[in-house]
Amino acid sequence: MLQPLRETCRRLLDDGTVQVVIGYGQAMRAVEPYPVFITDPNDVGQLVWNEQCRTNLVKYLLRQEIRALGKPAIVVKGCDERALVVLEQESQIERSEIVVIGVACDGMAEARCEVCDAHQPRFADHTIGHATNKEQSAERRYAHLAEFQERPIADRMDYWKAELERCVKCYACRQSCPLCYCQRCIVEKNRPAVLDTSPTLKGNFAWHIVRAFHLAGRCVGCDQCSRVCPEGIDLRLLNQSMARASEASFGHRSGTDPQAELVLGNFSKQDQEQFIR
Amino acid sequence: MARIGVFTCWCGENIARNVDVQSVAEQAAQLPGVRCSQTHKYMCSDPGQKLIRDTIAAERLDGVVIASCSPHMHLKTFRKAAEHADLNPYLVEMANVREQCSWVHSQRSRATAKAVDLIRVAVAKVRHNRALEPIQVPVTRKVLVVGGGVAGIQAALDIADSGVPVVLVEREPSIGGKMAGLSETFPTLDCSQCILTPRMVEVAQHPNITLHTCSEVEQVEGYVGNFRVTIRKQARYIDVDKCTGCGQCWNACPSKKTPSEFDYGLGKRTAIYTPFPQAVPARPVIDRDACLRLTKGRCGICVKKCQADAIRFDDQDELVSEDIGAIIVATGYQLYEIGKPDGQGRVTGYGEYGYGRYPDVISSLQFERLVSASGPTGGEIRRPSDGAVPKTVVFISCVGSRDNAKGLSYCSKICCMVNAKHTMLYKHKVHDGQAHVFYMDIRAGGKNYDEFVRRAIEQDGAHYHRGRVSKITQEDGRLIVRGVDTLAGEPLTIAADLVVLAAAMRPATGVEDLAQKVNVGYDEFGFLCESHPKLRPVETNAAGVFVCGACHGPKDIPESVTQASAAAAKVLLMFSRDRLYREPEIAHVQESACAGCFACRRSCPYHAIDPAEIRDRQGQLVRRVARVNPGLCMGCGTCVALCVSKSVDLEGFSEEQVYAMVESLR
Amino acid sequence: MNTAASDPANGEFEPKIVAYVCNWCTYLGADLAGTNRLEYPANVRIIRLPCTGRIDFNLIVKAFEIGADAVLVSGCHPGDCHYTSGNYHARRRWMLFRELLATLGIETERVHFTWISAAEGKKFQQLISEITSTTRDLGPYHAYREICETCEV
Repeated sequence: MLQPLRETCRRLLDDGTVQVVIGYGQAMRAVEPYPVFITDPNDVGQLVWNEQCRTNLVKYLLRQEIRALGKPAIVVKGCDERALVVLEQESQIERSEIVVIGVACDGMAEARCEVCDAHQPRFADHTIGHATNKEQSAERRYAHLAEFQERPIADRMDYWKAELERCVKCYACRQSCPLCYCQRCIVEKNRPAVLDTSPTLKGNFAWHIVRAFHLAGRCVGCDQCSRVCPEGIDLRLLNQSMARASEASFGHRSGTDPQAELVLGNFSKQDQEQFIR
Repeated sequence: MARIGVFTCWCGENIARNVDVQSVAEQAAQLPGVRCSQTHKYMCSDPGQKLIRDTIAAERLDGVVIASCSPHMHLKTFRKAAEHADLNPYLVEMANVREQCSWVHSQRSRATAKAVDLIRVAVAKVRHNRALEPIQVPVTRKVLVVGGGVAGIQAALDIADSGVPVVLVEREPSIGGKMAGLSETFPTLDCSQCILTPRMVEVAQHPNITLHTCSEVEQVEGYVGNFRVTIRKQARYIDVDKCTGCGQCWNACPSKKTPSEFDYGLGKRTAIYTPFPQAVPARPVIDRDACLRLTKGRCGICVKKCQADAIRFDDQDELVSEDIGAIIVATGYQLYEIGKPDGQGRVTGYGEYGYGRYPDVISSLQFERLVSASGPTGGEIRRPSDGAVPKTVVFISCVGSRDNAKGLSYCSKICCMVNAKHTMLYKHKVHDGQAHVFYMDIRAGGKNYDEFVRRAIEQDGAHYHRGRVSKITQEDGRLIVRGVDTLAGEPLTIAADLVVLAAAMRPATGVEDLAQKVNVGYDEFGFLCESHPKLRPVETNAAGVFVCGACHGPKDIPESVTQASAAAAKVLLMFSRDRLYREPEIAHVQESACAGCFACRRSCPYHAIDPAEIRDRQGQLVRRVARVNPGLCMGCGTCVALCVSKSVDLEGFSEEQVYAMVESLR
Repeated sequence: MNTAASDPANGEFEPKIVAYVCNWCTYLGADLAGTNRLEYPANVRIIRLPCTGRIDFNLIVKAFEIGADAVLVSGCHPGDCHYTSGNYHARRRWMLFRELLATLGIETERVHFTWISAAEGKKFQQLISEITSTTRDLGPYHAYREICETCEV
């Protein structure tokens, strides 16, 4: 897997197709792989591929300093590339301006990998390796959330109070999210401040409601936010509840169909709900 | 803003009965930013308004809250009063302490407390109000009329007569539309062409009308007052300036077998032709699919015959651009396809009526041509199969209309009158003939309409049978019509020589394409949607686009003409000032913060948001952002709620105002 | 709104209800209730917005933050939007947002969504009466107030 990956990257850099490859590098097994930005074909030896490559690198495509390096190639897993689909739907990237190197992935030893149905990339320009995509029922994919939702409402509130009490408002969840690309985040807006930005429980609730809802119908479930949270808050639950509702109500799975309409900003007269009187 | 005046109204007893107005005024005076607080028995009265004006001047107020009735009642009144005192009208807000307080809460203490809260909210809002000026949009005083039937002609002439230039676009080689092919019109039986053709000539000769025939709207850009319309003029193969319309060419053309569109296939025409003798423009056109020169490369007799050297076989489609201020859509109707072979030996629609299989089963528009003096039979009623004069004719109503199962759920409105007219025209020409009509209901609402139907029955002896026809078969050259007379309660079989089907009215083909180009909605049948069925019947939700005639719904000639004149009046009203003035309470984008995801653009019902490019000093594209077109935005604010970075805001209901209102209730 | 939290007359809990309504349907429906003198409890504070499309989800959060015990969001019936489609966008928004509230353990029975036309003064009256009484039964929204009262963590 690694050799063809490195060769593909070398070729792309060599023939000038791209000026930079965004991939995984690793100093030693003990540390997580980190993003590397390779501009010299002779450096492709820095690229690694192993079962610790959990990070979704798509975020780095949007960084100004990386854009400045020239046309990029990016190494993605089948799950990561869904973010590319959304970014294109939201006019943030030109797909033709990016070379996507998809790497088949058998799982990164995370819980979500057990219910993954995107082992094999679908939209990549170059695909390395082969894996089989297995259908996963919605019940299986959202089992974690369903279990949580079975708790009584007061328990859920208590759970989030305890969790969000720990939030230090470092905004790592935002910084790492491939779909958080605003020029100016809503928390940086004043006159008026839309939400309380203080690191109080009130401010933390406000922030996590905003963060989750701004991903409603968009989140591709890469779990990057949960992964980077220094306090280990399970943000996946909030993201999943939005994803499940989008799927159940609008048949929309974010990032799986480049032709699909986004959930918010569109509507159907046939939208069905039971709660509006 | 910190010099706010609060004016609380007693509304006689209406507010004062349940709200302690004096106490409210005293509490309001304590609210942050409030400079003074006054009351008056009737704030909307002249002395009340004078109090407001005088206080604005005396206290140099920079914001006003009127606590009285609903803003829907008097916001305009009070904003005008403020304007008279040189205060920007958009610095006035209202607290609805009557409809939403004193009238619905009888407990005085609680109603008073709520009234104070409502004022608190309004004061919090007005502190963040900004002075706004009406938005001005320049207007190009030129109108595009799409469709040259009677509605389009009427609209075009009304507008042109007032001195405003009109561009009239017609898809067919001649204007005139469906009406040009009619024989006589109900309920007066005056000759259709005698009414219409002088109007057509007027169009052709009018100095303010530019006529494009064989043309369609290719593209519409821009917005109200400032459209740029591209028109595709199909190759006509005739130099219309050189051509004199002498007719030498079409008399000599050897390709004579094309069914005439104007006669609905009952007659034939040549490859170079004018659709009918009174066509406007009175110039021929070459049918590129029938012409031997254009299809097979031989012939060219017309070139030899033409003394004016007007034939142009190398003619090409041409694109014409026009700057337009307003658009009137008058694309009219077509008939429901009665029996359409589905290619698998079956027929959809009304296959059991044998339309298309039996030559003597025809549509009502075909019957018009049979009766017309300019028609293929010269006005003698002769049936298509053998040219015999039919002695028994059956007319069937509601073919397609009011039939959910097979056709369309709506009533086509004109067919009852058309059938009555046809029975009379038939009787007037075939004195010993008998007309039968099968109908569901007779709908003859209209001036002199019911009298007309009565005349058909009572004077001209038409037999009316209330019931449907189940099947038509052909036996020994006659058509056996099997139906039921539900009033007599028995089945009815009539041996007829000719059957005429009053097919439903449908919008003309391609109307959906056009609707999308001009951003006008249409219903499930393709009829265009007006803005409001009662109050804005010719306007649409696309600013500057109007509808008239049968493209909007089934209509007869008088109604189409009325609507056309109404649309013309609305356009002229719009043009009565050299600029359009619009409410300034609209959205605007803070471009420095916009991430360009265009969720706002997807959601905008008025297509008021466009991408704009931000470029640096070297002209390099930095990024794309959303930009609101102030000529189109109606101020719903859907974009504000959707914008994740809150880079778009709505004047009059800005984030700052709304949050201040909520905060004030803390 | 300091006076409404509890009625000094009887000391009973008086729910605080914030209503975000559209200008063209529900606001006029509320006006009609007034014109017809249809009495309802004085617990609701209406904030008029042009369209349900304008009603941001953050406003619901904000209402709870300022101590509302219930929130009402109301606009034109489907098909009747003054701006043709703002209410359809709003409907989608609430279909998702309600899920998020439920996941967070926020009591969704305190968030009400309705369509009330300009002709439905009666419906407005009944709705406000009903919401007031159910909120009275639910009691003050202590859970969210606790969130808001916690100081620096």
